[in-house]
Amino acid sequence: MNCSPEDVKAYFLDELAAPERALVEAHTRSCSNCREELERLNVTEKALLSLEDEEPARKIAFVSDKVFEPRWYQKLWRSGPALGFASAALVAAAILVHAYARPPAAPNVDTAQIERRIERDVNARLEGAVARAVSETMAREDQKIAGALTAAEKRYEFQRQTDLAAAQQTIAYYEKKMNRWLVASNEDTRTGQ
Amino acid sequence: MIFREVEDRDLIAKARQGHVDAYNALVSRWEKRVFNYLLRLVGHREDALDLSQDVFLKAYQNLKKLDDPARFPAWLFRIAHNEAFSLLRKTRPEGELAVEPSTGGSSARMFPMELNLAVKSALGRLSDDQREAVLLKVYQGFKFEEMAEILACPVSTVKSRVYTALDLLKQTLAPVNMGGAE
Repeated sequence: MNCSPEDVKAYFLDELAAPERALVEAHTRSCSNCREELERLNVTEKALLSLEDEEPARKIAFVSDKVFEPRWYQKLWRSGPALGFASAALVAAAILVHAYARPPAAPNVDTAQIERRIERDVNARLEGAVARAVSETMAREDQKIAGALTAAEKRYEFQRQTDLAAAQQTIAYYEKKMNRWLVASNEDTRTGQ
Repeated sequence: MIFREVEDRDLIAKARQGHVDAYNALVSRWEKRVFNYLLRLVGHREDALDLSQDVFLKAYQNLKKLDDPARFPAWLFRIAHNEAFSLLRKTRPEGELAVEPSTGGSSARMFPMELNLAVKSALGRLSDDQREAVLLKVYQGFKFEEMAEILACPVSTVKSRVYTALDLLKQTLAPVNMGGAE
């Protein structure tokens, strides 16, 4: 093995596997340079370790914080006996509730009678609904007819007024024409005399 | 060490279930190591203490994301690394030295207080990355693989940083002509 400062340092720092350690040890026995290197590393380490650790001025400690504390269900879940007890209590409670709160047994009933009553009710409601619908429809129809009659009467009256006005204009026209004709005939009579 | 690991795992499991006391026990085990790592990295006690608090708070909030409790140390120091470098980026321009360089000299011949200053000075002369590599390797005893996980970089980068840092430290703390070294 040749001199290798890296190997000597790795040996010194206990970072070599057993076969490599044996090689370095064999080499340093015959190499004064590497022995001196090891000696200097020893002195350096001894000097470094002469620095004593200081105690922190105040101790670091944490107090219980609800943010980090497990939730109640987490505590329960992590606790085997508590979980078993809780399960048993839950089952017991369920049995009690079932025993005291279940609905009373249904009495004997005449289902045919109930069916007839329901049928009667349904029929009555149906007839009522049909009657209401018919009367509403008839009322709507009456309203429509009354509206149509009123509109027809209006249209008739308007036509009658229009025709009357036209007849009056025609009569007036012929009266004027007759008057002009009478005047003309009188003048002819006077000039012929 | 095995007992310690088992106990840590147990505390982590309890803390995950919301036991704050278990987490406080975990904090009390690791706070000194995390605090000293941060202190030697950022070089300021109050900052190191604040950062330690943030590190353990973040660790608590994210404890459920830790896949393997056996990886807790590396995972915790990964958080610490992120917090420290977040502060260093804000407060110190790139490459600025945390500690003034010293004149150097062999540590084997120094008095304890002198040695203490020399070590702090030598560490301060390293870059943040190199100093952190030494802190994780020499002071915290992490393996290269774990360091790669903490620093989120390849193992080769980790090795390079550690070896370069050791060479630089040697020059100050164990010069070639140290003579009377132990």
